[in-house]
Amino acid sequence: MTPVAIPREDIGLDEATAIGAPWQTVVWNDPVNLMSYVVHVFRTYFGYPQEVATRLMLAVHEQGHAVVAEGAREQMELHAQAMHDYGLWATVRRVPA
Amino acid sequence: MSGPTVLLSITRIEALHLRDLVAQFVDLLADPPSGDPAVARLTPTAYPDDPDAAREFRSVTERELLRRRTDDAGAVLADLAAAGDVTDIADLPTEEAVAELDLTLDAERAAAWMRTLTAVRLVLAARLGIASEDDTDDTDPRFGVYDWLGYRLDGLVQAVDDAVSR
Repeated sequence: MTPVAIPREDIGLDEATAIGAPWQTVVWNDPVNLMSYVVHVFRTYFGYPQEVATRLMLAVHEQGHAVVAEGAREQMELHAQAMHDYGLWATVRRVPA
Repeated sequence: MSGPTVLLSITRIEALHLRDLVAQFVDLLADPPSGDPAVARLTPTAYPDDPDAAREFRSVTERELLRRRTDDAGAVLADLAAAGDVTDIADLPTEEAVAELDLTLDAERAAAWMRTLTAVRLVLAARLGIASEDDTDDTDPRFGVYDWLGYRLDGLVQAVDDAVSR
Protein backbone atom coordinates (compact mmCIF):
# COMPACT_ATOMS: atom_id res chain seq x y z
CA MET A 1 0.00 0.00 0.00
CA THR A 2 1.24 3.43 -0.83
CA PRO A 3 0.27 6.32 1.40
CA VAL A 4 -1.03 9.45 -0.24
CA ALA A 5 1.84 11.88 -0.63
CA ILE A 6 1.35 15.40 0.56
CA PRO A 7 1.80 17.71 -2.42
CA ARG A 8 4.90 19.85 -2.34
CA GLU A 9 4.90 23.26 -3.81
CA ASP A 10 8.66 23.62 -4.08
CA ILE A 11 9.16 20.91 -6.71
CA GLY A 12 11.58 22.17 -9.33
CA LEU A 13 11.23 22.17 -13.07
CA ASP A 14 13.96 19.54 -13.43
CA GLU A 15 12.17 17.12 -11.14
CA ALA A 16 8.88 17.74 -12.86
CA THR A 17 10.26 17.09 -16.32
CA ALA A 18 12.07 13.97 -15.06
CA ILE A 19 8.68 12.27 -15.14
CA GLY A 20 8.62 12.82 -18.88
CA ALA A 21 11.26 11.36 -21.15
CA PRO A 22 14.56 13.04 -20.41
CA TRP A 23 16.84 10.06 -21.18
CA GLN A 24 17.58 8.03 -24.28
CA THR A 25 19.16 4.71 -25.21
CA VAL A 26 21.27 5.17 -28.35
CA VAL A 27 22.62 2.32 -30.50
CA TRP A 28 25.79 3.06 -32.49
CA ASN A 29 26.98 1.66 -35.79
CA ASP A 30 29.78 -0.88 -35.89
CA PRO A 31 31.36 -2.73 -38.83
CA VAL A 32 30.71 -6.19 -37.39
CA ASN A 33 27.06 -6.70 -36.55
CA LEU A 34 24.85 -8.01 -39.35
CA MET A 35 21.92 -5.90 -40.49
CA SER A 36 19.59 -8.91 -40.22
CA TYR A 37 20.74 -9.53 -36.65
CA VAL A 38 20.26 -5.90 -35.57
CA VAL A 39 16.70 -5.93 -36.94
CA HIS A 40 16.10 -9.21 -35.14
CA VAL A 41 17.34 -7.74 -31.84
CA PHE A 42 15.14 -4.64 -32.16
CA ARG A 43 12.10 -6.81 -32.94
CA THR A 44 12.76 -9.40 -30.26
CA TYR A 45 13.88 -7.21 -27.38
CA PHE A 46 11.79 -4.06 -27.88
CA GLY A 47 8.90 -5.81 -29.63
CA TYR A 48 9.06 -3.29 -32.48
CA PRO A 49 7.24 -4.21 -35.72
CA GLN A 50 9.42 -5.23 -38.65
CA GLU A 51 9.08 -1.79 -40.28
CA VAL A 52 10.14 0.13 -37.18
CA ALA A 53 13.02 -2.25 -36.45
CA THR A 54 14.23 -1.98 -40.05
CA ARG A 55 13.99 1.83 -40.03
CA LEU A 56 16.01 2.01 -36.80
CA MET A 57 18.62 -0.42 -38.15
CA LEU A 58 19.01 1.67 -41.31
CA ALA A 59 19.38 4.83 -39.22
CA VAL A 60 22.16 3.16 -37.22
CA HIS A 61 23.81 1.97 -40.43
CA GLU A 62 23.50 5.18 -42.45
CA GLN A 63 23.58 7.93 -39.82
CA GLY A 64 25.89 6.19 -37.39
CA HIS A 65 23.42 5.90 -34.55
CA ALA A 66 19.73 5.81 -33.64
CA VAL A 67 17.66 6.52 -30.56
CA VAL A 68 15.94 3.21 -29.82
CA ALA A 69 14.14 4.17 -26.61
CA GLU A 70 13.26 7.15 -24.42
CA GLY A 71 12.21 7.26 -20.80
CA ALA A 72 13.47 7.11 -17.24
CA ARG A 73 17.21 6.80 -16.78
CA GLU A 74 17.09 3.43 -14.98
CA GLN A 75 15.00 1.95 -17.78
CA MET A 76 17.40 3.29 -20.41
CA GLU A 77 20.32 1.70 -18.54
CA LEU A 78 18.51 -1.64 -18.55
CA HIS A 79 18.01 -1.30 -22.30
CA ALA A 80 21.70 -0.44 -22.82
CA GLN A 81 22.71 -3.43 -20.73
CA ALA A 82 20.44 -5.68 -22.82
CA MET A 83 21.92 -4.29 -26.04
CA HIS A 84 25.42 -5.06 -24.71
CA ASP A 85 24.24 -8.62 -24.04
CA TYR A 86 23.33 -8.85 -27.71
CA GLY A 87 26.72 -7.47 -28.74
CA LEU A 88 25.40 -4.09 -29.86
CA TRP A 89 27.07 -0.91 -28.64
CA ALA A 90 24.53 1.21 -26.79
CA THR A 91 24.91 4.34 -24.69
CA VAL A 92 22.64 6.31 -22.37
CA ARG A 93 22.23 10.09 -22.57
CA ARG A 94 19.93 12.93 -21.70
CA VAL A 95 17.63 14.00 -24.48
CA PRO A 96 19.75 16.64 -26.26
CA ALA A 97 18.43 20.14 -25.67
CA MET B 1 11.24 -27.42 -25.19
CA SER B 2 8.73 -24.66 -25.54
CA GLY B 3 7.80 -22.33 -28.35
CA PRO B 4 9.09 -22.50 -31.89
CA THR B 5 12.24 -24.48 -32.58
CA VAL B 6 14.79 -24.15 -35.34
CA LEU B 7 16.85 -26.83 -37.01
CA LEU B 8 20.52 -26.07 -37.53
CA SER B 9 22.56 -28.35 -39.77
CA ILE B 10 26.33 -27.99 -39.74
CA THR B 11 29.06 -30.29 -40.94
CA ARG B 12 31.24 -32.17 -38.50
CA ILE B 13 34.23 -30.06 -39.56
CA GLU B 14 32.30 -26.86 -38.89
CA ALA B 15 31.23 -28.18 -35.51
CA LEU B 16 34.84 -28.92 -34.63
CA HIS B 17 36.04 -25.45 -35.62
CA LEU B 18 33.14 -23.83 -33.82
CA ARG B 19 33.81 -25.82 -30.68
CA ASP B 20 37.45 -24.75 -30.69
CA LEU B 21 36.56 -21.08 -31.24
CA VAL B 22 33.91 -21.06 -28.52
CA ALA B 23 36.23 -22.89 -26.11
CA GLN B 24 38.87 -20.19 -26.73
CA PHE B 25 36.18 -17.59 -26.13
CA VAL B 26 35.30 -19.18 -22.77
CA ASP B 27 38.99 -19.14 -21.83
CA LEU B 28 39.20 -15.45 -22.72
CA LEU B 29 36.17 -14.64 -20.54
CA ALA B 30 37.55 -16.69 -17.63
CA ASP B 31 40.70 -14.59 -17.44
CA PRO B 32 40.23 -11.41 -19.48
CA PRO B 33 43.54 -9.57 -19.98
CA SER B 34 43.23 -5.98 -18.79
CA GLY B 35 43.13 -3.52 -21.65
CA ASP B 36 42.25 -6.20 -24.20
CA PRO B 37 40.36 -4.43 -27.02
CA ALA B 38 38.20 -7.50 -27.70
CA VAL B 39 36.98 -7.64 -24.09
CA ALA B 40 36.52 -3.86 -24.19
CA ARG B 41 34.23 -4.26 -27.21
CA LEU B 42 32.16 -6.88 -25.36
CA THR B 43 31.70 -4.54 -22.42
CA PRO B 44 31.41 -1.11 -24.02
CA THR B 45 30.93 2.09 -22.09
CA ALA B 46 27.37 3.31 -21.69
CA TYR B 47 28.47 6.88 -20.87
CA PRO B 48 31.30 7.93 -23.22
CA ASP B 49 31.14 11.55 -22.01
CA ASP B 50 30.70 10.95 -18.28
CA PRO B 51 33.53 8.98 -16.63
CA ASP B 52 31.78 8.79 -13.24
CA ALA B 53 28.52 7.46 -14.66
CA ALA B 54 30.48 5.12 -16.94
CA ARG B 55 32.38 3.67 -13.97
CA GLU B 56 29.19 3.27 -11.95
CA PHE B 57 27.38 1.52 -14.83
CA ARG B 58 30.34 -0.76 -15.45
CA SER B 59 30.68 -1.67 -11.78
CA VAL B 60 27.10 -2.93 -11.62
CA THR B 61 26.87 -4.59 -15.05
CA GLU B 62 30.23 -5.86 -16.31
CA ARG B 63 30.68 -8.95 -14.17
CA GLU B 64 27.14 -10.20 -14.85
CA LEU B 65 27.50 -9.42 -18.55
CA LEU B 66 30.59 -11.60 -18.83
CA ARG B 67 28.96 -14.33 -16.73
CA ARG B 68 25.93 -14.45 -19.05
CA ARG B 69 28.28 -14.63 -22.04
CA THR B 70 30.03 -17.59 -20.43
CA ASP B 71 26.66 -19.27 -19.81
CA ASP B 72 25.64 -18.70 -23.45
CA ALA B 73 28.93 -20.11 -24.72
CA GLY B 74 28.57 -23.10 -22.39
CA ALA B 75 25.12 -23.79 -23.86
CA VAL B 76 26.59 -23.76 -27.38
CA LEU B 77 29.35 -26.17 -26.34
CA ALA B 78 26.79 -28.47 -24.70
CA ASP B 79 24.62 -28.46 -27.85
CA LEU B 80 27.65 -29.25 -30.01
CA ALA B 81 28.69 -32.07 -27.72
CA ALA B 82 25.16 -33.50 -27.78
CA ALA B 83 24.94 -33.32 -31.58
CA GLY B 84 27.76 -35.78 -32.17
CA ASP B 85 31.36 -36.62 -31.57
CA VAL B 86 33.51 -33.77 -32.82
CA THR B 87 36.56 -34.58 -30.76
CA ASP B 88 38.63 -36.50 -33.27
CA ILE B 89 37.91 -35.88 -36.91
CA ALA B 90 41.51 -36.00 -38.12
CA ASP B 91 41.26 -39.72 -38.82
CA LEU B 92 37.77 -39.66 -40.28
CA PRO B 93 37.20 -40.30 -43.98
CA THR B 94 36.14 -37.15 -45.84
CA GLU B 95 32.51 -38.16 -46.25
CA GLU B 96 32.13 -38.46 -42.48
CA ALA B 97 33.98 -35.20 -41.84
CA VAL B 98 31.54 -33.33 -44.07
CA ALA B 99 28.49 -35.26 -42.85
CA GLU B 100 25.93 -32.90 -41.37
CA LEU B 101 25.00 -32.84 -37.71
CA ASP B 102 21.44 -31.72 -36.94
CA LEU B 103 20.82 -29.52 -33.92
CA THR B 104 17.33 -28.61 -32.76
CA LEU B 105 17.30 -25.36 -30.81
CA ASP B 106 14.42 -23.86 -28.86
CA ALA B 107 14.01 -20.08 -28.80
CA GLU B 108 16.13 -19.58 -25.69
CA ARG B 109 18.91 -21.79 -26.97
CA ALA B 110 18.86 -20.18 -30.42
CA ALA B 111 19.24 -16.79 -28.70
CA ALA B 112 22.29 -18.08 -26.80
CA TRP B 113 23.76 -19.29 -30.10
CA MET B 114 23.15 -15.95 -31.84
CA ARG B 115 24.68 -13.97 -28.97
CA THR B 116 27.70 -16.28 -28.89
CA LEU B 117 28.31 -16.24 -32.66
CA THR B 118 28.02 -12.45 -32.52
CA ALA B 119 30.43 -12.18 -29.58
CA VAL B 120 33.02 -14.47 -31.20
CA ARG B 121 32.80 -12.35 -34.36
CA LEU B 122 33.34 -9.21 -32.27
CA VAL B 123 36.46 -10.77 -30.73
CA LEU B 124 37.77 -11.85 -34.15
CA ALA B 125 37.08 -8.38 -35.56
CA ALA B 126 39.09 -6.82 -32.74
CA ARG B 127 41.97 -9.26 -33.37
CA LEU B 128 41.85 -8.58 -37.13
CA GLY B 129 41.59 -4.82 -36.66
CA ILE B 130 38.35 -4.58 -38.62
CA ALA B 131 37.37 -0.93 -38.52
CA SER B 132 35.10 -0.73 -41.54
CA GLU B 133 32.75 -3.07 -43.38
CA ASP B 134 35.19 -3.16 -46.32
CA ASP B 135 38.16 -4.42 -44.29
CA THR B 136 39.15 -7.85 -45.57
CA ASP B 137 42.26 -9.74 -46.59
CA ASP B 138 41.91 -12.73 -48.91
CA THR B 139 45.35 -14.01 -47.91
CA ASP B 140 44.48 -14.20 -44.21
CA PRO B 141 42.38 -17.32 -43.48
CA ARG B 142 41.02 -15.72 -40.31
CA PHE B 143 38.85 -13.48 -42.46
CA GLY B 144 37.37 -16.65 -43.93
CA VAL B 145 36.50 -17.84 -40.42
CA TYR B 146 34.98 -14.44 -39.65
CA ASP B 147 32.85 -14.50 -42.81
CA TRP B 148 31.81 -18.10 -42.17
CA LEU B 149 30.58 -17.20 -38.66
CA GLY B 150 28.61 -14.32 -40.18
CA TYR B 151 27.07 -16.66 -42.76
CA ARG B 152 26.00 -19.12 -40.07
CA LEU B 153 24.67 -16.35 -37.84
CA ASP B 154 22.64 -14.83 -40.68
CA GLY B 155 21.13 -18.26 -41.45
CA LEU B 156 20.20 -18.73 -37.81
CA VAL B 157 18.59 -15.28 -37.63
CA GLN B 158 16.49 -16.06 -40.72
CA ALA B 159 15.49 -19.46 -39.33
CA VAL B 160 14.42 -17.98 -35.99
CA ASP B 161 12.49 -15.14 -37.65
CA ASP B 162 10.73 -17.66 -39.93
CA ALA B 163 9.90 -19.94 -36.98
CA VAL B 164 8.41 -17.03 -35.01
CA SER B 165 6.27 -15.80 -37.90
CA ARG B 166 4.97 -19.27 -38.80
